[in-house]
Amino acid sequence: MMSRIAIIICWVLAIGLALFLLLPLVVIAAASFSPTPVFDLPLSGASTRWYGRIGRLDGFWPSLSLSLQIAVLSTALSLVAGTLAAIAIARGRLPGATALGTLLVSPLMMPGLVLGIALLQYFRMIGFTATWSALLVAHLVVTLPYVARTMIAGLSRFDFTLIEAARTLGCTYAGSVIRVMVPALAPSFLIAGLFSLLASFDNYPVSIFLTDVRSKTLPIRMLQYIEEAPDPTLAALSTLILAGTLVLLLISDRLVGLHRMAGTAD
Amino acid sequence: MSAAPHLVISGVSKRFGATTVLDRVDLTIGRGELVTLLGPSGCGKTTLLRAIAGLAPPDTGTISLAGRDVTDVPPHRRNVGVVFQSYALFPHLTVAGNVAFGLKVRGAPKAEIDRAVERALALVKLGHLGGRRISALSGGQQQRVALARAIAVEPDVLLFDEALSALDRKLREEMQVELRRLLQEVKATAIFVTHDQDEALTMSDRVAVMNKGRIEQLAAPRELYARPASLFALNFVGLSTRIAGQVVGGHDGMVDVVTPVGRLSARGAFQPGASVIIATRPEQLRLGAGDGANSASGRVRSVVFQGSRTLVDVDAGAGASLLAELSGREAELPRVHDEVRFAWPVAETFAFAAEAS
Amino acid sequence: MTDAVLPAPIVKPAPDRERLAAFGFVAPSVLIIALVFVLPLALLLGVSVLDAKGGVTSAHYVRLLGTPYYLGVIWNSLRLGLLTTLIAFLISYPAAFALARARGALRSILLATLFLPLAASVIVKAFAWTILLRSDGLINTVLIALGLIEDPIRMIFTQTALIVGAVNIFLPFMVLPIYAVVAQLDGRYAEAAATLGASPFVVFFRVILPLTLPGIIAGVALVFSLSVSAYVVPTLLIGEKYPTLATTIAKAYLLAREPGFGAAAGVVLLAIAVIVVALSAMLSREPK
Repeated sequence: MMSRIAIIICWVLAIGLALFLLLPLVVIAAASFSPTPVFDLPLSGASTRWYGRIGRLDGFWPSLSLSLQIAVLSTALSLVAGTLAAIAIARGRLPGATALGTLLVSPLMMPGLVLGIALLQYFRMIGFTATWSALLVAHLVVTLPYVARTMIAGLSRFDFTLIEAARTLGCTYAGSVIRVMVPALAPSFLIAGLFSLLASFDNYPVSIFLTDVRSKTLPIRMLQYIEEAPDPTLAALSTLILAGTLVLLLISDRLVGLHRMAGTAD
Repeated sequence: MSAAPHLVISGVSKRFGATTVLDRVDLTIGRGELVTLLGPSGCGKTTLLRAIAGLAPPDTGTISLAGRDVTDVPPHRRNVGVVFQSYALFPHLTVAGNVAFGLKVRGAPKAEIDRAVERALALVKLGHLGGRRISALSGGQQQRVALARAIAVEPDVLLFDEALSALDRKLREEMQVELRRLLQEVKATAIFVTHDQDEALTMSDRVAVMNKGRIEQLAAPRELYARPASLFALNFVGLSTRIAGQVVGGHDGMVDVVTPVGRLSARGAFQPGASVIIATRPEQLRLGAGDGANSASGRVRSVVFQGSRTLVDVDAGAGASLLAELSGREAELPRVHDEVRFAWPVAETFAFAAEAS
Repeated sequence: MTDAVLPAPIVKPAPDRERLAAFGFVAPSVLIIALVFVLPLALLLGVSVLDAKGGVTSAHYVRLLGTPYYLGVIWNSLRLGLLTTLIAFLISYPAAFALARARGALRSILLATLFLPLAASVIVKAFAWTILLRSDGLINTVLIALGLIEDPIRMIFTQTALIVGAVNIFLPFMVLPIYAVVAQLDGRYAEAAATLGASPFVVFFRVILPLTLPGIIAGVALVFSLSVSAYVVPTLLIGEKYPTLATTIAKAYLLAREPGFGAAAGVVLLAIAVIVVALSAMLSREPK
C-alpha cells in the first residue's frame, strides 16, 4: 500500500518533471510565431516574419560563423587529444593514471567565469592578444574534459583483447586500432563530440572575457540582444538553435540510442 | 604423435619485472596433435600461449612453426588462430563479418571469403546465423563464432586460451567432446590452455602440466594419471591418498617406507633416511588385506555416494588418511565409524620427495 | 632436472615502448590543461593578493570577507546553489525511479525530454523564462484567464523567478547521474532485504539509499557547482537586485576594472567549487 503510493508519487514527479523541462522550449518555439512584437502566443494567427529578420540582427552572421568555427575546431582537436589521453589512461600502464584522468576532467566542475578571468589575466600577461586564437585555446579547456570523461568511460569498457584478436587474424597494431577499436568506440566518439560541440557553442562565461567589440561569439551577441531589445526575432533564433540541437540529438539517438547516452553522460 | 615436429619451442624464458613467468620451456608438438597446457593460475601457461601467438615475445629462446622460425615474427604474420577466453568477438561486425575478418585483412577475393565463411560456420553448426549481431548470440554460440573465426584463416596452429571456461558445466562438457571431434576432422594442430583437469584429459593427445614457469610433465592423459612424475602432477590431476614417511631400504626401483600406518612399499629410488610422500590413486584401494600388497586400517570418517562410485575417507590415525573409491556394485560398502582395512598394489604406489610439496 | 636450481638467464629489460607511447599519448591533453587551466588559475591566485601598484595586499579579501555587503553576496551565491540543488534533488530522486521503471516508447520519450533540455542552450532557456514570467507573459495570462487573479503578478526579477529558472535549467544534471545508478539497481537487493525481514522503510534507508548514493553525490556536486557559479541565469532572471559572486566577478572585470578584487572573488568561488569536488570525492570513496 505504502509502496504503491510511493510509486504513484514517483510517476507524477517524473511526468511533471518532463513537462516542466519542456515548458521553456515549447514557449520559446510558440513565441517565435508571435503575430505581434510582444511575445504573444500564436493563438490568433501565426507569423513567420521573425525568422526572416534573424539575418538582419546586428552582427549576427559574423558571430554565428565565429561560434561555429570555434566549436567545430575545439571539438576536433579535443577528440584527438582526449582520445589519445584516454587510451593511455584506460590501459593503466601509466603511473598515476587515475589522478591524470581526474586532472583532465576537473575543469568540468570549476566555475567557467573564474576560468574566464584567469585566462584574461594570463593571456594579457604573456601577450597573447589574438582574439580568435585565444578563444580557440580557451574553448579547448571547455571541450577537452567532456571528451576525456566520455572516452575514458568508453575505453574502460573496451576489451583490449579485441586488438590482440585482430592482430592474430592478420592486422598490424595500427590496423587493429583502425579496424576494431575505432568502430567499437564510435558511440563514445559521437557522444563526446556532441557534448563538446554543444558546450563550446553555448559557452558564455569563458568567452565573455576573451572577446572584443568586433568578434563576439553567438551566446554573447544573444545576451546582448536580450538585454537591449528583446523581440520575437530572438525567439525565432532560439528556436532555430533548439531545432539544430534536436537534429543533432536525433542523429545521435539513431546511431547510438539515448539509453546508452544516459549511461555515459553522468 | 606424428613424426614431423610442427611447433618447436626451445629454451623459451619470459620475465615480467622480477618475476620469471617462463623458465626455459621446451616443447615439441607434431602436426595434427592436440596438446593441453594444464596448471594453476600464474604457472605461465597463458604466457606460453601468448608467446606462441606472438602477443608476448619471449626474452630468450626460439619458437618455430611449420618449419619457420617465428620468434621475431609479429602476430599478424604468424598464421595462428586464437580463441580467447572472452571470445574477443568484434561487436560492430556481424557473425559472418567476424569470421570473414582474417581473410579480408589478408586481401582474399570476395568469392573465396564467402566460401570460407560458409564452410567455417557450417563446421560449427551456425550456418543459419551469419547475419546476426554478436550481441544477439548466447555464450555457447559466441564460443562457436570465435572458433569459426580462428579456423577460417586455416592457421598453422589453433590456440585456445581457457576458451571453454565461460560456459556452464553441461555445455562445456558437450563442447569438449564436439571440439575434439571437429579438430580431428579438420586435422588441426591445437594447444589448449586450461586449469580444468577434466578438460585436459578429455580433449588432448598429450598434456603438459605446468608449474612455476616450467613443464613438470608432458604425457598422454592416461599415462599422466597412472604415472605422475611429481607430487605436483599427482595433486593437480585426479584424487589421491598421500602418506608421509621415511625410507628405510630399497632395491630395483622400489623403496620400503615406514609410515604412521605401517611399513609400505612404493615405486621410486631414494636413499635410506629420505623423507618421502607415498601416494596411490583411490580406485586402487580394495577392502580387505591383499597378499603382498600395501595395506592400512582405520575408522571410516565419511562415505560420499557419487552415482557410479562411492568415495570413502578413512582416518588411519597419526594424521594420515586413506581415500578409497569403491565401485557402486560392491555389495558391502562400509559405513561411517566402521573399522576397515584397505589393501592396494605395490606397483601402483609411488614415492615422491617430501620437500617437493 | 639438475639445472632446475639455476635461475633463468637474466635479460636486459627492453625499453618499455608501451609506457613511452602512453606518455606521448597523454602529453598533449596534460599540456593543454596545465598551460590553459592550472597555470592561469595559479596566476589568478597571485593577482588576488596584488594591489594596483603591484604590491602584496590582503585588502581584496578583507573587503570581500569583512564587509556585510559582500558577505551577503557570498551568501546569495551559496543560497542560490543550495536551494537549486535541494529542490532539484527532491524532484529528481523519485522521478529517476519512475524513469528506470519505464519501458519501450515511454522510456524513450522521457529520456528525450531530459536530453533536449540538457543539450539546449542555457541562454535560450533563460530567455524563455523571461518570456514566461513577464507581467504580460504566459503564466500571468493563464492565471488571469482562469480567473485566479485579476491583476498580473510580478514574477520576473524576483527570487522565485530565479530559483524556478535555475532549477529548470540545472535539473537534467541531477536526474541523469541518479537515473544512471537507479537503472542499474538490482531489484533483488531490495527483495533480499525484504526476505530478511526488513520493512519498506528500512529497505529504503539501509539498502536503496546507500546503493544510489554515488549517483546522488555526483548529481548534487554537479548541480551545486553549476548553480553556485551561474552567471547567465541570475543576470536574466533577477538582475542587479540579487548580486552573486559570479555577477560581482563579471562587474569587477567588465565595468569597474578592479582585477585584484575580481580575482579575489574568483578565488572564493573557486574555493567553493574545490570544496564541493573534494567532499564528493571523499564521500564516494567511503565504502557504504
